[in-house]
Amino acid sequence: MAPPPQFQRSSSPSPSQPSGKSEISDLKLQLRQLAGSRAPGADDAKRELFKKVISHMTVGVDVSSLFSEMVMCSATSDIVLKKMCYLYVGNYAKGNPDLALLTINFLQRDCRDEDPMIRGLALRSLCSLRVTNLVEYLVGPLGSGLKDPNAYVRTVAAMGVLKLYHISASACVDADFPSMLKRLMLNDPDSQVVANCLSSLQEIWSAEANTSEEAAREREALLSKPLVYHLLNRIKEFNEWAQCLILDLISNYIPSDNDEIFDIMNLLEDRLQHANGAVVLGTIKVFLHLTLSMADVHQQVYERIKAPLLTLMSSGSPEQSYAVLSHLHLLVMRAPVLFSSDYKHFYCQYSEPSYVKKLKLEMLTAIANESNTFEIVTELCEYAANVDVSIAREAIRAVGKIALQQFDVNAIVDRLLQFLEMEKDYVTAETLVLVKDLLRKYPQWSHDCIAVVGNISSKNVQEPKAKSALIWMLGEYSQDMPEAPYILENLVDNWDDEHSSEVRLHLLTAVMKCFFKRPPETQNALGAALAAGLADFRQDVHDRALFYYRLLQYDESTAERVVNPPKQAVSVFADTQSSELKDRIFDEFNSLSVIYQKPSYMFTGKEHRGLTDISEELGNLSVEAHPAAEALPAQIYEANDVDLLLSTSEKEEVRGPVNNSSAYRAPDYDSTTAALVSSQVPLEADLSIPGLPAYNPQVSSAIDDLLGLGLSVAPTPAPPPLALNPKAALDPGSFQRKWSQLAISSSQEFCIEPRAVVALATPQTLLRHMQGHHIQCIASGGQPPSFKFFFYAQRAGQPPSFFLVECLVNSSSARAQVKIKADDGAAAGDFSALFQAALSKFGE
Amino acid sequence: MPVAASAIYFLNLRGDVLINRLYRDDVGGNMVDAFRMHIMQTKELGTCPVRQIGGCSFFYMRISNVYLVIVVSSNANVACAFKFVVEAVALFKSYFGGQFDEDSIRNNFVLIYELLDGKNYGFGYPQNLSPEILKLYITQEGVRSPFSSKPTDKPVPNATLQVTGAVGWRREGLVYKKNEVFLDIVESVNLLMSSKGSVLRCDVTGKILMKCFLSGMPDLKLGLNDKVGLEKESQLKSRPAKSGKTIELDDVTFHQCVNLTRFNSEKTVSFVPPDGEFELMKYRITEGVNLPFRVLPTIKELGRTRMEVNVKVKSVFGAKMFALGVVVKVPVPKQTAKTSFQVTSGRAKYNAALNCIVWKIRKFPGQTESTMSAEVELISTMAEKKSSTKPPIQMEFQVPMFTASGLRVRFLKVWEKSGYNTVEWVRYITKAGSYEIRC
Repeated sequence: MAPPPQFQRSSSPSPSQPSGKSEISDLKLQLRQLAGSRAPGADDAKRELFKKVISHMTVGVDVSSLFSEMVMCSATSDIVLKKMCYLYVGNYAKGNPDLALLTINFLQRDCRDEDPMIRGLALRSLCSLRVTNLVEYLVGPLGSGLKDPNAYVRTVAAMGVLKLYHISASACVDADFPSMLKRLMLNDPDSQVVANCLSSLQEIWSAEANTSEEAAREREALLSKPLVYHLLNRIKEFNEWAQCLILDLISNYIPSDNDEIFDIMNLLEDRLQHANGAVVLGTIKVFLHLTLSMADVHQQVYERIKAPLLTLMSSGSPEQSYAVLSHLHLLVMRAPVLFSSDYKHFYCQYSEPSYVKKLKLEMLTAIANESNTFEIVTELCEYAANVDVSIAREAIRAVGKIALQQFDVNAIVDRLLQFLEMEKDYVTAETLVLVKDLLRKYPQWSHDCIAVVGNISSKNVQEPKAKSALIWMLGEYSQDMPEAPYILENLVDNWDDEHSSEVRLHLLTAVMKCFFKRPPETQNALGAALAAGLADFRQDVHDRALFYYRLLQYDESTAERVVNPPKQAVSVFADTQSSELKDRIFDEFNSLSVIYQKPSYMFTGKEHRGLTDISEELGNLSVEAHPAAEALPAQIYEANDVDLLLSTSEKEEVRGPVNNSSAYRAPDYDSTTAALVSSQVPLEADLSIPGLPAYNPQVSSAIDDLLGLGLSVAPTPAPPPLALNPKAALDPGSFQRKWSQLAISSSQEFCIEPRAVVALATPQTLLRHMQGHHIQCIASGGQPPSFKFFFYAQRAGQPPSFFLVECLVNSSSARAQVKIKADDGAAAGDFSALFQAALSKFGE
Repeated sequence: MPVAASAIYFLNLRGDVLINRLYRDDVGGNMVDAFRMHIMQTKELGTCPVRQIGGCSFFYMRISNVYLVIVVSSNANVACAFKFVVEAVALFKSYFGGQFDEDSIRNNFVLIYELLDGKNYGFGYPQNLSPEILKLYITQEGVRSPFSSKPTDKPVPNATLQVTGAVGWRREGLVYKKNEVFLDIVESVNLLMSSKGSVLRCDVTGKILMKCFLSGMPDLKLGLNDKVGLEKESQLKSRPAKSGKTIELDDVTFHQCVNLTRFNSEKTVSFVPPDGEFELMKYRITEGVNLPFRVLPTIKELGRTRMEVNVKVKSVFGAKMFALGVVVKVPVPKQTAKTSFQVTSGRAKYNAALNCIVWKIRKFPGQTESTMSAEVELISTMAEKKSSTKPPIQMEFQVPMFTASGLRVRFLKVWEKSGYNTVEWVRYITKAGSYEIRC
């Protein structure tokens, strides 16, 4: 058999296309000749031809023009030919609905074949045609397939129902297939049939639940006790993949009492010894979730699952280890002591891929405690010296993190200082950043550190982060470093060589600090720095220089109090992930959420689509910029890319202010007001862009005063006695359903504060602000000056009732339009007041 | 939802599609372009096996010169997906005669489609991957046999029953003239030793591989000298445990044929084996590992451009045994110019591509030692003051009839209702896993 030709994609015309075309017409001719032939050996010849056709199809050459010839040739009893033909038909039917009609006949005939294998295959192909107007031909064969005496045909039919559902949901539901599947699931003797019914039903009912109450009930019924027990008792009969499916289902089951929990765990315990790692992980999920309410048993579960998890990690491919390590990392965050004696398992092997090494380093950091810190740090230092650059950096960061966890700080500081003596640029750079953070937490070590840091030539430090850290230390400890003013002066002299605004900002602050400690030596440098800063084209650098300049002009002692106040050591660095988020991820154990370290609603495509739906249905503002369905495939990618970019930049914006360990915030720590002022200025500047009317806060608030509209005048309404659930959760599907079901219980329009308009320059801040008031955002969009937000909140206590909010904000007219829908209409008034109060505080 | 794959792709290293299979319409038609653009053509490649692009997640794995890519749009079960790929590759290998690479895929693509479509991936859900059962009803044959040889036109009459049946791993009615069982205990020993000669980390991952050529539906029972099993046995027979070495297994996993309920209550491994080759169990041991080799390196830097490397390797297993295929890789700096060696056995060579001296000894008897001393001359450079990275010394070997854990088979009983006699073969072998010594 000839290997497939080197491929050219059909989408991009290429020089070799003509020859491809002639080859295809050649094939066409040969197929025609063979179509009616009954000669012996014709089947073999057909096979060769079919193979060629499929090899073309695989590499992307469009062979759909052969459709009718292929169908003609498919009248055969040869099962090999049939399979190849089915494959071909399945691939091209969607694009050629008219031609697909040709195949219906022979597929339907095959569905009645006496050989169950052919019945099954034909039924599967029939369902794979994916042509909407052929649905009517599908229902009959599917119905008889579900009742077929042969189990294989039934497994195919059970999956086929799901395929039908994806082609036409209504046809599937109208034919009453879901309830047939349900019957089959409960009664079929064959395990694979049961498993396929289960996966189909799960998908169908989850999708239907958004629109139909009954489907929602049915989805709940999948978790009912009889069904769960039915599956549990037979779990050993299922194959490994189906076991995964069932285990996943059971992990959501809520047993009625503790005895039931123990029964389930006893039944499943041997699954932890299954050779398939996916089954083991699935079982672990069940165990963890079942025992959440019982602290001591939960702890025992951790002990029990430790060995299987370590085995999974060390056996199998690196990719599998990666998946397991991500889960270990999640667990270790919840129970750090668990693996503290097994730290050696997380030592890296030289040849492991870096993604595994990285996770192992994170594990080592997480499990370090009094008893093992020395060994772990020794090992980490080994990596800092002897492996590739990216891992060496990670290793150094890990050492720093351990030091910040307050174990054995003394020894660690020594080691960090040794790193500085290794004279490798990247090691020095990473270490400087860490030393800076350490000094903020443990100022008592300054003496040792400063001695070493003072010896580092700033010429050897190039990375902005590291350079900023070095400059910060020079400013902060200038009284202990005799050279400090001169190093700073040298840096100021080379102001133009420094391209990072981060470094320039740090330099300004450091020179200021140094000036108050050693005025005569720094005076020159300060003057030069302020002059350079004022001339800087970067807005924030310019503003900070101006701010310092005016501060000094105003009063030197005030300036000193602002720039150099007495400092307290930082006790805790902000955690990047909220505990709520971590809980959500834990709920989704054994899925992608754990790998991405974020809950599924933040990344799955379905949710994205959910958002578009809401906006299309309700608003005239488009949330997603492009209607993806109309765009060509290539454009979809672009759109996706844009999407991706947006989401990452949003993330950074959200994270920035929270994560104050970043070097940028470091100097601001002691000059909060300065930071506030300097960060407000660019915001105002942003607002004055053309298209937006210039906005004068004073004037407008005066007008507001006059009109009595301004919320700033009226004292902020006292929050009414309505408590909201801080952990409210609502998926977009349910939101949409509720939104369409409920009537508007309150609709208002009011003015918003000028400062809120300013803050709206980054709409994400509003989301964060409202979250602080326990009001969550589910979708947002719009371009200045009009924005649209969908919020929801949940009343704390019983019964939990949801409030849904659509909020239109126009930043040029400074008005907000709020529509509230509530499960409990009586409370809507209170909530509306609460919402308004929360909104009025925005921007403070 | 475990894995509902929206698409599966096989790509070669250039990004050409070898196999594509779209299961669902919820991902764009040409996800493979996204994969090429965002993963293959960037430095991202190999940095993380799971990537998100747009609303879809890509799981990918490289196996020899092929990328296997699974695209999902839901919150899928990652462990399940990777396990599936590993199993699928094992399955393909069993069809292609142990090979899985670009050529074997090109030669067998119809078969791969049949496999991907048929049983084992129904609308994106994994179904059945047991090679023995699949071979019954997959009609294509691997390319090893000439295609013209007529494949079994009609599958075994009740093949479909077998595919879905309860004892999914064995079909009935097998007959062998000679009933034989082969059992191999294969251990790989992992070591990480510090430059000061202390063991930082050491463990053994072992597996028991079996090959069964047995008639009918035999019941097998395996006894090992593991601690838990022995204790349980002496308890049951109310007889003190025999003195002698017992092994403590940290964790054990079994093939699905093993009756786990019975293992948990009686601690015996009993099973109805699949026909042919399979992996019966896997285990892990961290305590009491016998290291087969000790390595003592000394590296001296003589000035800026010369180094002296001495490596002594001692075998510490029984004198009657011997190791095969011993390879010691001693790393040397990148700027090595010239090397000269002296070895007491085997041959040494400088490999510039790997930046190390490769010292090979074909046969290494137990309780002996061997040394290599090398002199390395370096090109003098200004850039790096100190040798930047020092990889560890790595070792490869195989020691037949030796287990690093000390695990032994005490008995292997075969019982079948017809009562035939069987021949049992038991072998042991210990291989080097990641055997690293820092220097």
